[in-house]
Amino acid sequence: MVNPTFFKGKFFTARLVTTTVSTTIIAALLFLGLAGLCAVPAIGEPSASAAQADTTQESWRTEFDNVCAKTEDAMTFSQEELMDLIRRCDTLQPRIEKLDESRKKVFLERLRKCRGLYAYVLDAKTKEKN
Amino acid sequence: MAACGILFLADFVSAQIYLPKPAPAPSEYGKVILDNYAGAEPGAVVFDHWLHRSKFTCRVCHVDVGFAMEAKATGIKASTNREGFHCGACHDGKRVFEGKTVFAACSDAAHDQQCDRCHSLGKKGVRKYEYKEYTAKFPKGIYGVNWEVAERSGVIKPIDFIEGLSVKKAPMKSREDFTVQANYSWVHPIEFSHEKHSIWNGCELCHPEIFPTAKKGTVSYSMFSNIEGRYCGACHGKVAFPLNNCQGCHAKAPSWVP
Amino acid sequence: MNKKVFFPFVLILVSCLFCGLALSQTGTKKKRPLPYEYGRVVIDNYSNKADLAPVVFEHWIHRSMFTCRVCHVDIGFAMKAGATDIKAADNAHGYYCGTCHNGKMVADGKPVFQACSRKASMDDEKRCERCHSYGLKVASDFDFFQFSQPLPKERFGNGLDWEKSEELGLINPATFLPGVSPKKNSLVVQKDFALNAKVEGMPDIIFSHKKHTVWNGCELCHPDIFIGVKRGTVKYSMVDISQGKSCGACHTTVAFPLTDCQRCHTKAVQP
Repeated sequence: MVNPTFFKGKFFTARLVTTTVSTTIIAALLFLGLAGLCAVPAIGEPSASAAQADTTQESWRTEFDNVCAKTEDAMTFSQEELMDLIRRCDTLQPRIEKLDESRKKVFLERLRKCRGLYAYVLDAKTKEKN
Repeated sequence: MAACGILFLADFVSAQIYLPKPAPAPSEYGKVILDNYAGAEPGAVVFDHWLHRSKFTCRVCHVDVGFAMEAKATGIKASTNREGFHCGACHDGKRVFEGKTVFAACSDAAHDQQCDRCHSLGKKGVRKYEYKEYTAKFPKGIYGVNWEVAERSGVIKPIDFIEGLSVKKAPMKSREDFTVQANYSWVHPIEFSHEKHSIWNGCELCHPEIFPTAKKGTVSYSMFSNIEGRYCGACHGKVAFPLNNCQGCHAKAPSWVP
Repeated sequence: MNKKVFFPFVLILVSCLFCGLALSQTGTKKKRPLPYEYGRVVIDNYSNKADLAPVVFEHWIHRSMFTCRVCHVDIGFAMKAGATDIKAADNAHGYYCGTCHNGKMVADGKPVFQACSRKASMDDEKRCERCHSYGLKVASDFDFFQFSQPLPKERFGNGLDWEKSEELGLINPATFLPGVSPKKNSLVVQKDFALNAKVEGMPDIIFSHKKHTVWNGCELCHPDIFIGVKRGTVKYSMVDISQGKSCGACHTTVAFPLTDCQRCHTKAVQP
């Protein structure tokens, strides 16, 4: 049972203030901790983000080289393989469209030629079958 | 009234464009004036076809050497002559022809310069050969020398191969002669002989630049375009027998007397 | 006749009279480019705006060192003058001309001069003029006469038998550019085939895929230049070809020209 005089007088006010301040401090500490915990996955460590950005940068180029290196073998592929290559070209296109002007211009044209050849060979094979 | 006047004027103007002009004198026919770069000194070049065509086929110059078939279109310069192109392909001061060394065109060496032999416009007594004497023994037709007869009879033997310039190719079978219907029913059809043309021209002179090979009847070769110097008119306007010689092509046509 | 009808009538009449003359383009034999001029491309998308002479590109220098595919597929040049839309910035960033003309690549034992540096100064004028040379007298590092001397000759075009030159090993065009060309396997070559000439008496054309793919690969021609997949469905006429379509994409300005009939029409006509 709390003594009713607990809530009366100067002593009470001082104790209330102290209590409020400590509560605020604890709450703030808790909040920062929580924010910190969330931030790591959101922002990531500095070195980890640069590496991530690098692989994003180069991965479209690696994919482009992988897809378009096969043009000379186009006649040996099956229809399914050709359709897969065309699909990969179509996936690459929006990634290339986000590049700077020079690279966009060059690689969109190279991609167009590469995709065009696969589509052409697929067309030839389809007509041959029918 | 005004309409009649306009129509008459239009008629007069179109006649100037669309009828073949009277052919020049035989000695003048085939003359080409080249004044792209010559300027006042050494003056424009005068090229007479009659001298060269008596010795060489059309093909040698217009295919092997590569001259254009419109005056000034080739863009011959003294520098290109010295490099051995165009006139310089033969006129190089080294080539021996008919036992004589051919003079160098646009030679750098002062003692070797014979500029006036070509740059002869308006100058008298500078040329080596004159038309009258040179063609005295050639068979003649209505418009000067009858080159076809001259060659058939052996009076001239045009050369078709130049050493170091021409490349020997397997001959292609010449197409048969055929008849071309005129655009108007009252005009006699044209008897076209591929053989007569390919003796001098080969195939490459006409095809595909002058006559893009197309399905018969798809391209219309009208007298208008001939007079402009296109198609048949590329040769039969300025060098080969002129368009005024109707029977040359419209073989069975009677002589037209106004 | 009132004025409103009179003048247009006269205008139409006069236009009709001169219409034929104005439109005449075909049916004449034009100037033939000299051997060292054949294959010359003048590019003037932006040069004039930048106060520079238009660019003059000579094919003969480059085709002796690289296959057609390296430039027209791997680097991405178009097949018509001005169509690539090359900018100085592209070159400076190492694309198009700048792929090789970057001051670092070595050819013939010398570094290849840089095209369109990022910051050009007045001292660069001579370097700019190496390409921006239209109408200017610019000395080239390469002399056509010296270059062509040892090579087997043919008629028309550059006057050289490029095919034979490669066969004899006198030229060795590179098929691969490191960092640019994807690593490819060797090509599965399509068979040669005959194309019937439409004109009676003309020898049939023997088309060699092998000769073409050695230099072009597949995607240079298919499907941009040759779209038909089934043989015999598309008709190629000489009129179209001479206007730059199908075979004419190359065989009017860079590869041996159409005047050399027997180079394509090689099959002997059956008697």
